[in-house]
Order: sequence, then structure tokens, then C-alpha cells
Amino acid sequence: MTHESQLAKKIDAGDFIVTAEFLPRASTDISEIEAIAASFKDKVTAVNVADNPHGPVLSSLAGSLALLKAGVEPVYQMVTRDRNRIAIQSDLLGAAALGIRNVLCLSGHHQTLTKSSQSANVYDIDSVQLIAAVKQMRDKGVLLDGTKIKGDFPVLIGAVAGPDMKPMELNIMRLAKKVEAGAGFIQTQAVFDIETFENWLEQARSRELTKKTAILPGVMPLESAEKAEALREKYMDLFIPDSIISRLKEAGDAAAQQKEGLAICIEIIKKIKAMEGVKGIHILSGGRENMVPEIIAKSEL
Amino acid sequence: MIVAERKTIPELVEILNGHKKILVLGCGTCVTVCLAGGEREVSIISSALRIASNIRKLDFEIEELTIERQCDNVFIEQATEAIERNDVVLSLGCGAGVQAIAERFLEKPVYAGLNTEFIGVLEERGIWTEKCAACGACVLHQYGGICPITRCAKHMLNGPCGGSREDRCEVRPDRPCAWQLIYQRLKGIGQLDRLKKIAPPKNWETSLDGGCRVIIREDHRI
Repeated sequence: MTHESQLAKKIDAGDFIVTAEFLPRASTDISEIEAIAASFKDKVTAVNVADNPHGPVLSSLAGSLALLKAGVEPVYQMVTRDRNRIAIQSDLLGAAALGIRNVLCLSGHHQTLTKSSQSANVYDIDSVQLIAAVKQMRDKGVLLDGTKIKGDFPVLIGAVAGPDMKPMELNIMRLAKKVEAGAGFIQTQAVFDIETFENWLEQARSRELTKKTAILPGVMPLESAEKAEALREKYMDLFIPDSIISRLKEAGDAAAQQKEGLAICIEIIKKIKAMEGVKGIHILSGGRENMVPEIIAKSEL
Repeated sequence: MIVAERKTIPELVEILNGHKKILVLGCGTCVTVCLAGGEREVSIISSALRIASNIRKLDFEIEELTIERQCDNVFIEQATEAIERNDVVLSLGCGAGVQAIAERFLEKPVYAGLNTEFIGVLEERGIWTEKCAACGACVLHQYGGICPITRCAKHMLNGPCGGSREDRCEVRPDRPCAWQLIYQRLKGIGQLDRLKKIAPPKNWETSLDGGCRVIIREDHRI
């Protein structure tokens, strides 16, 4: 039984899209995923399932299938760090056969930045090559080695971008390449610096990339000044300006800082959601999925 | 050149413990240049092992020798007598040198005194950096002479990853992002257009992934 990607349908219809991120745990308790699915249901278009971003957890394929079973459309995230082209294509075939319709293609955090820092990596192909591989499987019905795929492979392809990555020329070149390779939607790293995001979006617009792909800027509720500083220290793809850290610090105790983090997130959503070329919002929960319904309600998405 | 680093003296003592007559064998090529396993290091390591032997009463008898190249039969022959009159060889050659010696003296234990690190260059006094992963199908002409396979921690062939920040690499913040260097270099030589083309998946068959490699030159076998 083939069904369509609701995310793809909404992109085509020009509807405003809300996606949110779910980080699976090192857990075999399926009721946790069912609870998250229930809290997201009917509030978001689709839910991203992260692929072992900080070390081994329940697989993004299994997590995606669990969400699907619970009635929530998944965005199956796949990184090129842990699987070669054999495993990648094999998992993609399985995902499509079992009803997954959205795939987000990433290179993934390098393993030295995860808890399994002693692990070897794979990086047989990179993120652009993964996007192109999925497109070939979908549009030509063949695997990278030329093997013909039996049956449809109706998958919407997504990719990621970092509006803050400099220099802008290289950043946009990379974005253009992902779009050319086949990315139908782009979820960005968390936006905190509105001016930089606007500049990046303008560059994307001027090259008509916003017409060729659906840009879904990422937003992230920060928990505290201390945690925000630790995050930006560890992950260079996350740009949190000093002014945001100061606002969190000045808010006061832990509860007040959490509240301020939420307020900042809502403020950012309100500022960026109506920008020309923005097709939706991607809420990066960072594992705090319980924050998502409140963010959606308070930012009037 | 091949760049190596010395194992620590406690590690070497652990490896050699129980043996008596030890030949510390240096190599006069790459590991001499990178100050890890040449004549000078043979002398330093031998002295340190003698001191350790005296303190711990290990009864080491150490002979020192350095040959021009441990990976070459012609030079290995010059070490034959010294190898035969000792119980074991502590080779200060690279991984290739250690194995070349071991394959030619089947009855003799041959131990590695170095950790072979990479193919690289002397960046500045006391600093060596990796430049080549010996993938067997060089792509340097496409990337302005900067290797994305070796110098990008994710071997990205189509541009930087998200962890590239103002010329730093997320994986090693003390090292430059290879992709920033490639971008600057290609821009400088007027070849930025090369980056716009999607590079297809690499054929890794020519690399170590395709199995341990051998080169047969028929024109040199006549």
C-alpha cells in the first residue's frame, strides 16, 4: 500500500510547515516513543528522527517506523558516518518498503564528538552524494551499482544547511549543490542571529534556491546559559551569540532561564516565520520534546 | 615522508622484558628525517633502555645499529650479522621496515619501537602534519592541491560540513578546515567553478579498503 508524503503534499500546496526533532534514547521501551508521538500528533506535519547524534541510541529507522505506527509522519534522518553505500541503500529500501516517505541526508557529527569517540568511521559517501543517491533511486529506480529497484521508491529528500557558516559564498555554493543534487526541503541549524539568517536567506532567494526547495529554518529552545555555552563550545555548527547567553544569565535562576530560553525561541519564530522564502519552521528539541507543543502554541504556528 | 613517533620507554621495557641480547635497529630514511628512528634516536633509546635495565635488573645487553633503509633488501643484508648474534630486534623503522625485517628473519622476534603515524610533511620546526592517505587514485588536481580525503575528517568531496567555522575544523579546532583552504586556494587560482560540479562517490577499491595493495611493474621484472 503506497501512501504519499504529507510533507511533500504541503510543500507543493504552499502550506506553512511545522516539523520537530525527536532524539531517540538508548532504550527499548516503545511506550516512550508512543508518548512523544501522541504529544506531537496533529500539531506538526512531520517529526525528524535523529540518527545517533551523540552516540548509540535506538536506530532512526526503528524510531521512524515506531512513529509511523503511532500515526505520526517521520522524517528518517540518515548520516553517512556509520554506514557505507551498501548499508545505506539497503536501509533506504527497507524504509521505503515499510512506508517511510521522507529522508533527511546528513554527514552527521563526527564520531569523536560523540560518546563513542574511539569508534572508527565510514564516510564512504558524503551528504551531497547521499542526496544524489536517493534521487537516483527515486527518479531512475536504480541503485548506485545499476541494480534495478522493483517497486516504487517515492521518497521526499531533505538536507541541512547552516545559515551562520562563513564565508557566505562557500555556504551558498554548498546549499546550491544540495538543491541541485535533489533536496526538496532544507532544514537549517538553529537560528539565533536574525540578521545573519536574513542575509543568508537573501542570498538563497537571489539564486532562486527558495523556489527550488522549501526552506525550514531551525529554532531551538535553550535550557540555560551554562548549557548554551557548553553546546556552542562543542558543536561549531551551532552559533549562539553572546547577547543570547547574557539574556539567559540575566533572567535569574534555573527556572527563570528555562522560561527565558523558551521566550527567545518564540521571539525568533515570530520574526522569521513570515520572511519571504521561509516555508515553515523546524523545532530542534535537542531531546526536550516536551517543550515542542508549548512552543507551537505560544508562537501561533 | 612517513612520519612516526617513538613508543615510550616504559612501553618498550614491557615489550622487551624477558629478552637479553637486543639489537636496536635504526633506519636512515624517513624516520631519521622526522627525528623518530635514526642513528640519534637509536643512541638515545638504547641509553634509556640500559638505565631501565640497571634499575629493574632486567639484564639487557643492547647493541646499536642503523642502516640506510629497513624497507630495502640490499640494506637489510648489511644488518644480517648483527641480527643473527642478538636474541631480538627492536626496529625503529616504520611499519614497513619492521615487517621487512621480520619477513627475512623468520626465527627472530622483531618488535616495533615506533608508532607509524602518517604520510606528511614538516610544517615548521617540531611540527609534522598529515597530507596524504595513499588512497591510490589521486584527486588533488580537482581540489587546488589540498586533499579533502586526508585533511577533511569526514572525507567530504563536495564542500565543507556544518562544523566548519571561520577556517577551523570542528573535529580538531587547533587545525584548519580543509574545505576553507580548498575554497581559498581554488578562488586564488581562478578555479572555483570546480566546486560547483557534484563529485560522484569515490571508488575506494584502489585504497586499503580494496585489500592490501601490490604494484607489479612488468617492465622492471625482465
